[in-house]
Amino acid sequence: MIIVKNVSKEFRLSKEQRKEHPANDKYTLAVNNLSFSCNPGEVFSLLGPNGAGKTTTLRMLSTILQPSSGTIEICGVDAVKYPREARRKIGFLTGSTGLYARLSANEVIDYFASLYNVPNNVLKERKAYLYDLLNMNEFASKKIGKMSTGMKQKVSICRTMIHDPEVLILDEPTSGLDVITAEGIIQLIRDYKSQNKTVLFSSHIMGEVDLLSDRLAIIHNGSLKHEGTMSEFRTEMQGQSLTGAFINIVQS
Amino acid sequence: MIFKIFRKELKETVRDRKTLLIMVAIPLLIFPILINVIVNVSSSFSESAGEKVLKIGVIGDTNDMLIQQLNSIPASFGPKEFIAYNGDSLKLFKDQKEEKIDLALWYDSGFQDILDGLGTANILWAVDETNIGYSERITGYMNILEAEERLKRYDALGIDEQKLQPYKITYQNTASDQQMLGELAGGILPYIFIAFGFLGCMYPAIDLFSGEKERGTIETLLTTPVKRWKILIGKMLVVVLSGLMASCCALIGLFVSIEFLDLIPDPNLTAVVSKILTIPIIIKLFALLLPLTVFFAGIMIPISVYTKSFKEAQSIITPLNIVVVLPAMLGLFPGIELNYITACVPILNIVLTTKSLIAGNIDYILLSLSFIVMIAVAAVAVFVSFRQFGKESNIVN
Repeated sequence: MIIVKNVSKEFRLSKEQRKEHPANDKYTLAVNNLSFSCNPGEVFSLLGPNGAGKTTTLRMLSTILQPSSGTIEICGVDAVKYPREARRKIGFLTGSTGLYARLSANEVIDYFASLYNVPNNVLKERKAYLYDLLNMNEFASKKIGKMSTGMKQKVSICRTMIHDPEVLILDEPTSGLDVITAEGIIQLIRDYKSQNKTVLFSSHIMGEVDLLSDRLAIIHNGSLKHEGTMSEFRTEMQGQSLTGAFINIVQS
Repeated sequence: MIFKIFRKELKETVRDRKTLLIMVAIPLLIFPILINVIVNVSSSFSESAGEKVLKIGVIGDTNDMLIQQLNSIPASFGPKEFIAYNGDSLKLFKDQKEEKIDLALWYDSGFQDILDGLGTANILWAVDETNIGYSERITGYMNILEAEERLKRYDALGIDEQKLQPYKITYQNTASDQQMLGELAGGILPYIFIAFGFLGCMYPAIDLFSGEKERGTIETLLTTPVKRWKILIGKMLVVVLSGLMASCCALIGLFVSIEFLDLIPDPNLTAVVSKILTIPIIIKLFALLLPLTVFFAGIMIPISVYTKSFKEAQSIITPLNIVVVLPAMLGLFPGIELNYITACVPILNIVLTTKSLIAGNIDYILLSLSFIVMIAVAAVAVFVSFRQFGKESNIVN
């Protein structure tokens, strides 16, 4: 479960950034008083145009960034006060996260499992399960640097899930992938949901959002523009396409 | 947890060919190659310079007494050939200028008469000093001729040579060979280690922080429940180890060059150097290098954490090499010695302490002070790294 309450995040601007900023302020507000919640057993989509504050929000949820104000609760843990405890419960994947090119997939997975203190017997089981699910057995010993984009993304997802997190936070997980690989990942998200775990993901692909989401939130300029269930959203669409409805909300 | 991070970072670092080249290959090979080149080039140069037949243009005739005397000097002092210019001084100096001849020799026209009359005859050698070895050859010739002429005059005047020598001065060098080497070359050793230690630290420091940021792997690492200071220390240990490894490889290269490859022709010098490169001195040297390398890592990591790309970090850290090498160079100057002030100057204190260690005249209070100062600056550098690594603006692009 994720509970976000009145979360704001402001960044100090550099001198050069201040010149570009219209009001010449010292700070810029990336996320403004954001509140939403994601429940176990549901897939929650966070939508927004570029620069809306999605990545900053996800980074705050993953505890890489600390909110300027507000609270974040991850499975009952105050993620602002106890970030390390919260991290144990999170599997975080963003489009910008990379892998160690000089290590093999096996080495990367083993390394991250060791950082989460996953016991050896559990690691073996998890690896067998995820490698099968993601069709990774063929390239498990291959160096990351020599892998295709799809292979790398599979390793990233395996890395994200190796410690069996209660909460999955995925930022554009199918971005740049072929349809077969993307389909595999979509299936994996569904499986995860069926295990009564929380999945929060952001995407630009509206078809994916339509297919996977139980609930969704739309943010623009750091503020929440819409939050509700997918069925409510479909009702509000009034015959518009999902993309059209999204654009309407953002521009309203 | 620190060890897990250290092990993984080390594995990744040793798989990077560029880092491995800087960390092991170059330091290991630099001394054998450098000593080999210097010894061979200098010996072949002095051999060829010694064997070269000098073309000497003379203002008079080749039958002149001075030329005959010069000709009588054994060929072991260097072969020579005389070309007579028969009084044409303009052509003589022009030819020397145009390098048609190697040297021009001008002397008084009544040269022999002046000498016979116990007067002072003028001799002028025109030499291009950029030709190394020519001046030494002339000085050798003239010393022989002057000594012969002086003896003739003593005989002619009936003077006992001893009576014209009021002093017999002996300069006794009380410094041992080890002390001499410590003073003359002792500064070079730590200077080289500082340079290699810095280079060894540089690539891993950039790769493990700026490189990770650029590749987006740092974000992944920071979402794990590992404390940030543990991540920092795990990575820093790899940077320090790389610096020490580069210094160590440089030392091994030096040792192999001297002990096994016989690259130093002078056996006395080899013996003294072997005496210096003992296990206790090497241990002390590395004990001093350890805080220095931590200090290097400590100044490079905040820069690497702050910068957004490998290239940006490299462009800032590379010139820093000069800043680090400057105090090290200061230690090479004669007259700058280890005292309570210099022991407090980081880097300089390492050079001076090593010089004293090699010379065998180390003051252990100053050694301890240097060590404490380096530990202190290393601790400050680590703290600065920790602060920078903790800033979220520095870790997320």
